[in-house]
Amino acid sequence: MRTKKVILVEDDPDDRDLFVIFYSDRKDIDLLPSVRNGIELINYLQNISSEKELPDLIVLDQNMPVMNGKQTLGYLKSNDRFSKIPAVVYSTYADSRLIIECTRLGANMVAVKPIDNDGYQKMMDDFLQVL
Amino acid sequence: MEIKSLVTIRKKIKELEHQLTEAKDTIEAIRMGQIDALVVNSKEGHRLYTLETADVAYRVFIEKMTEGAVSLNSSGTIIYSNSKFASMVESPLAKVIGSTFVDFIAEDERSTFLNVFSKEWTEDGKREISLRARGTKIPVQLSINSLDLDVETSLNIIITDLTFQKSTQKILKEKNEQLEALNEALARSNDDLQQFASVASHDLQEPLRKIQVFSQFLKDRSFGELSDAAKQYVEKIILSANRMKTLIVDILTYSRLSAEESNFESVRLRSICEEIIEDFDLCISEKKAVIELGDLPSVDANKGQLRQVFNNLISNALKFTTPGVHPLITIQAKKINAAELGLSLPEEERYCRVSIKDNGIGFDERYAASIFSLFEKLNPKSSYEGSGIGLAIAKKIIDKHQGIIIAKSNEGAGSEFNIILPLKQ
Repeated sequence: MRTKKVILVEDDPDDRDLFVIFYSDRKDIDLLPSVRNGIELINYLQNISSEKELPDLIVLDQNMPVMNGKQTLGYLKSNDRFSKIPAVVYSTYADSRLIIECTRLGANMVAVKPIDNDGYQKMMDDFLQVL
Repeated sequence: MEIKSLVTIRKKIKELEHQLTEAKDTIEAIRMGQIDALVVNSKEGHRLYTLETADVAYRVFIEKMTEGAVSLNSSGTIIYSNSKFASMVESPLAKVIGSTFVDFIAEDERSTFLNVFSKEWTEDGKREISLRARGTKIPVQLSINSLDLDVETSLNIIITDLTFQKSTQKILKEKNEQLEALNEALARSNDDLQQFASVASHDLQEPLRKIQVFSQFLKDRSFGELSDAAKQYVEKIILSANRMKTLIVDILTYSRLSAEESNFESVRLRSICEEIIEDFDLCISEKKAVIELGDLPSVDANKGQLRQVFNNLISNALKFTTPGVHPLITIQAKKINAAELGLSLPEEERYCRVSIKDNGIGFDERYAASIFSLFEKLNPKSSYEGSGIGLAIAKKIIDKHQGIIIAKSNEGAGSEFNIILPLKQ
């Protein structure tokens, strides 16, 4: 099985560190350098010329400045080139409204941010299952 | 014999024809107003009926009326007034008769009155205006009818005092304004609540999660390097952070309930309970608890909310158990009608009473009502976990379903929660 290229879109430096800490040992994923918000993600994606280089999974934090998770998701799903890339939203707090809205926009999954290693591993396992 | 009777009958017919003509003439005379009095032969002898009799009755009627009544001639002079009108304008009756009606209208409304006054001679109508009384204005309604008499046309006006109606209207208007202001305040406080919910959902939870993550980190990665005391502190931080997380989520749930719309559907109580029992599977087997489900009906409800109610009650029953006793929780339901609840309703409604009973530690019956308040906890924090919001949430949900929730208990002898819900919403 090919390793999956995962990119995290997250404004919080602690949360970006946690991805590296918990996922750098995993053999099944290739963690791309994180970006800090939706605009940075779009710039990053637009600079990739080869389709093969596009990420296999985009993990979006919901609560971000400039362009939040939902808005970024909306942009991605309306773009011909990027709409096929699986995208998930994760948030400190996920109520039914957020889940419904993100699912409607085309999110493959909505997750509550974990607080320990077990939680992080399970979350990534769940994400990879829907790819 | 035969001929004689024929002559008699002819004579009789002639007599009757004459009487008929006379009667017709009398009716015509009455209709034309040519009769002043009638003499009627009755059992009590001859009686005189005059038109005056009827006239007096109407005069008395108008005099005793609680409304003012005046008649004006074509130049606007009062030719007749009842005493009620005189008392309304606080003038002696003798002075009112002969005065110009417009003089009794409030000064600033006279021109308005005169403008429309001419029209009323040809067209009957009603209008509101103010009378001038000593020092004040009296709001009145004028009901105007013109009447063509032989001599001249007169304008008859009934004057209704609107002071009481006006003051009632004014009070009503004030109350409505107060209500509007209250509504606005309520909308504002609702907005505040939503604002609070949003703050609580992100701004409070994000730093809290960091505390959870890094204290857990400390425990998972550096526990060995810590002294025994430091290990305890880390455990305490983790526990406190988890408690705070529960608190915030519960407060959010509670505050969101007010704003949330109720979407009712038919919900099977039994499947709700079965789902919850499955969720508590681990806790049930750990405590060797038994949960017995009786025959539970379907009710119209918001499924997610009703599930929350049963979740909170079952969770409590599993939490507040008597040490050394296998917990036994029984959930039963019975359909009842309003009369059995002591309610008399115009339309018969069917209810169900659900009882959730346990053999746990129970509570003092004195607190039966207050346990449904926010943050009301009857048990010391150290021995039982929880936010103290669970029952407040349950009550709020049952309230939204037009239901009732009642708690019964004896300390040490288990508790019983009764929920009464309408079967149809």
